[in-house]
Amino acid sequence: MLKRIWAIFTRDVKVSMRTFISLYILVVPLILAFAINLFTPGINDTTINLALLEADNPEQIAYFKSFAKVELFKDVESVQKRVEARDNIVGILPEGDKHYIMIQGNEPEGVIDYAKLINSLNELDIQVEDTNAEIIEFGKTVPPLKRTLVNGVLLLISILGGMLIAFNIVEEKADRTIRSINVTPTTRNTFILGKSLLGLVLPIFGTIATVFICGFGDVNLLQILLIVSAASLLSLLVGFIQGLSSDDIISAVSIIKLLFLPLFASVLAIELLSAKWQKFFYWSPFYWAYKGNNAVLSQTSTWQQILSYTGIVIVLCGIVYLIAAPRIRKGLE
Amino acid sequence: MITVQNLYHSYNKDDRYAVKNVSFEVQKGEIFGFLGPSGAGKSTTQGILTGLLQLQQGEVSVAGYDVKRSSPEMFNKIGMSFEQSNVYSKLTAKENLQFYRKLFDVETREPKELLKLVGLEGKGDIQAGEFSKGMKHRLTFARSMLNNPELWFLDEPTTGLDPAIAAEIKDIIKRDNKKGVTVFLTTHNMFIAEELCDRVAFIIDGEIKLIDSPRNLKLQYGEKLVEVEYIENGKSVREKFSTVLDKDKKRLQDIIGNYEIQTMHTKEATLEEIFIKVTGRGLV
Repeated sequence: MLKRIWAIFTRDVKVSMRTFISLYILVVPLILAFAINLFTPGINDTTINLALLEADNPEQIAYFKSFAKVELFKDVESVQKRVEARDNIVGILPEGDKHYIMIQGNEPEGVIDYAKLINSLNELDIQVEDTNAEIIEFGKTVPPLKRTLVNGVLLLISILGGMLIAFNIVEEKADRTIRSINVTPTTRNTFILGKSLLGLVLPIFGTIATVFICGFGDVNLLQILLIVSAASLLSLLVGFIQGLSSDDIISAVSIIKLLFLPLFASVLAIELLSAKWQKFFYWSPFYWAYKGNNAVLSQTSTWQQILSYTGIVIVLCGIVYLIAAPRIRKGLE
Repeated sequence: MITVQNLYHSYNKDDRYAVKNVSFEVQKGEIFGFLGPSGAGKSTTQGILTGLLQLQQGEVSVAGYDVKRSSPEMFNKIGMSFEQSNVYSKLTAKENLQFYRKLFDVETREPKELLKLVGLEGKGDIQAGEFSKGMKHRLTFARSMLNNPELWFLDEPTTGLDPAIAAEIKDIIKRDNKKGVTVFLTTHNMFIAEELCDRVAFIIDGEIKLIDSPRNLKLQYGEKLVEVEYIENGKSVREKFSTVLDKDKKRLQDIIGNYEIQTMHTKEATLEEIFIKVTGRGLV
């Protein structure tokens, strides 16, 4: 049985690599992970970017570096050119004994105030050691928006697995090969498992890649894989149903895209709605998966919590399976 | 090798049967032809025998397995060549065969050897999607031989093939049959049935009308006549003689001895003529 499951899986991988749209889906997790990394620092960092002159006092440059990201330029024109770029960067330039602040004009007020504050502290020669404040840390080291994006991408990847399944089933239908599989010792269950494997492997591969690329490598990987695998079950089922009932890839994709609706609804409910509205989203497996992923990514999860969320996701997917199974079996005849 | 008793099948699960009360047996080593026009019930019967359709009513045993208690092992013993070619278009011919051989539990034949056998030598690395209809059909045929089947289901094995390739395919069938392979041939091509089959069954409207060997059918339904065309006094003359009556036999000997014979044909019936005579319907 395992030999056949593996044969079906490797065939699907081979064919997916030869189909542009499938190949694209295979690399989408990597693209998304890099995109998050590229854009989230600008959104989430509480620190600011400063443009200074290379010729400035080294002690002063070192001081600014301990509070902000510093970029050095050889002359004032270069600083000005950099400040005029699209992102938020503030120039601090010497003028006599003091410094003046150069801005583009559209920077957030907080960024300008922060630059002013650092400059004043520097001029007053106030060091970090001079503070009397006591720090109480909650241990949250991850920017919340980045966590939300990574979590959303992980669930998105689980849907992509379903799309790949649908594509491969559509291909089997177009080539009329399901009949030829049915006259080999391959049972229907073996065929379904073999076809499902790609829909599970892609989310697992995508999750590991995203988690590591986005700098979440220290989270409990087993917990997050458990949640993502459970969430993928729903996409697998939808992938099978759509593959069997669609005649071409485009119509299969268009229906699977509907899965984005409960996904986005679940994310928005958790992030934006108050506690009294939450119960209206309990039916969505993505709701529980998102909650579970959130806990793992913020490193506050417990096994009990993860197992209960996974259990709920599996039960919800089981209900979908009970409804969908007769259609899947009939479609494979 | 195959036993079918009182087989019924209805696609709508009502009393509109696609196959009704069909019974027959196929002996080991036999080539059994299942002949009938489109919609006669050939594919339904074959579908049930190969497990592609669920057995609803009746007793069916294939290669020693009761089809009702479907066993995956049965498929190690049978091969199936479909009328409509069905191969993975994005895999090469070789990859197609390599994939399917992994699905069997028995020793399988080398893809390269099979491709050579069906005239696809040197085409193994081409994706099947680029093949012509005939090439795809040959690849489907080659695939059905992968597991060295004891029982070989062939659905229109020479359809769409040029005469030379069709002759090669027929030779392969004859050769494997001589090695002991039982063949269940579904076709509406009476010539291939006549050439290959030990026995044929005529099926129409879901019912078997007749089962016998092509030779017996010809003896039974053919006219015992010889038609001779000869030259007498510079003119062409055509006459029919009975091969049974003494008077006609003597006259025929006289003509052969004294005149120039232009053509001479026995008036035996073709399978197609017999089919029409028995069922009252054509084969299209």
